Amino acid sequence: MNNVQISGYLNPYIYILFIMLLPPKMPKALVLSLAFLTGFTVDVFENSYGIHAAASVFMAYVRPTVLSLVSVKGGEDLETIGIRQLRFARFFTYSGILCILHHFTLFYIEAFRLNEFIDTFVRALTSTVISLLIILLIESVRSNSHK
Amino acid sequence: MRNLFAFLYRHHVFFVFILLEIVAFGILIQSHHYQGSRFASSAQAWSGKVLEYFENSVDYFSLKKINHLLAEENAQLRNRISTSPISHKKNNALPHQYISAKVIKSSYNKRNNYLTLNKGRLNGIEKGMGVCVNEGVVGIVRDVTDNYATVMSVLNKHAVISSRFTKSNHFGEIVWDGKSHHFAQLRSVEKYVDVSIGDTLTTNSFSSIFPEGILLGTVNRFERDDSENFYKIEIDLSVDYSNIDYVYVIKNLHGKERLELESKLKEND
Repeated sequence: MNNVQISGYLNPYIYILFIMLLPPKMPKALVLSLAFLTGFTVDVFENSYGIHAAASVFMAYVRPTVLSLVSVKGGEDLETIGIRQLRFARFFTYSGILCILHHFTLFYIEAFRLNEFIDTFVRALTSTVISLLIILLIESVRSNSHK
Repeated sequence: MRNLFAFLYRHHVFFVFILLEIVAFGILIQSHHYQGSRFASSAQAWSGKVLEYFENSVDYFSLKKINHLLAEENAQLRNRISTSPISHKKNNALPHQYISAKVIKSSYNKRNNYLTLNKGRLNGIEKGMGVCVNEGVVGIVRDVTDNYATVMSVLNKHAVISSRFTKSNHFGEIVWDGKSHHFAQLRSVEKYVDVSIGDTLTTNSFSSIFPEGILLGTVNRFERDDSENFYKIEIDLSVDYSNIDYVYVIKNLHGKERLELESKLKEND
């Protein structure tokens, strides 16, 4: 999962797909707790002391808002989330926004300095693009195999 | 009272969110204290097992390379014993003990990089010990459990390594700006010092973490800004952080004695 180190500026994180795909009807407090646990597990392996937990919980918190942007009834009408349910364009928007929010939160907490603003920005942006590509790839394979 | 419960219930998602964020930032802030970070490290006992398992399964692919490295190192050590009794003696001036350990997890492309070793307290490793490889300094032990240890790499914003020029004995501090894992920055070198490209930097004897004379890197580029008192120097690090398999943890047998003595100075001040 995190042995993917392509070059100095790229650290894609794919585990957020798990949080993105949790059912919309699941109690929000439970989603937050699951996000925390996922992030914390990654933290333990990465020696990153809580930053993945913080970014994941933040992402889980804004998830319903983003979901309501891409679906009519705020996702209440959906049993599950996926490319098949949302169609590609809306799933792309949904995962794209969440991925950007997660990665930028993560990289800025990690750097914690504004004088490295540009550097952190490039780092977060490149990683977001790669993460998003891999997430879309996994998701399209996953939803096809369910047919 | 009922209103309060109703209020709490209505906004429970927000409160759970705030609570979890506080816990996450709590772990982060606690990790900056030297005494802290117990919470995250107690979990390392189980995460270490998993990492070790994965590392074991990919080990076989690098056996040939490791063999080669070990043979080379053996030869170098043997040379050192036979040809130069003086340097041998000098190395023994400060009593250091080396504990070899295997790296089961490492990173080099984050802002703060760490390594995890497969040895811990039971093997004699303690917090604050220095870690090096044959090519030079790797980092400082950050947390220890019974069987594992984490190492704060030089590639970390919290790492400051004291160093000196081998040719002039002038000293400076090595820090990392987070950009490339090949280069670090040297600060606090005053402008009157004679610096040229290719100068070698090694550890100095100011701290009890590293013995004197372990390689850190060479000067790659430097700048003299008239408005400042110090040089801007870029160091080409001698260690390739993208490729570390085995390391030595350095135990300073007189470290405690020295710290006690030096802390007395502070008390008297």
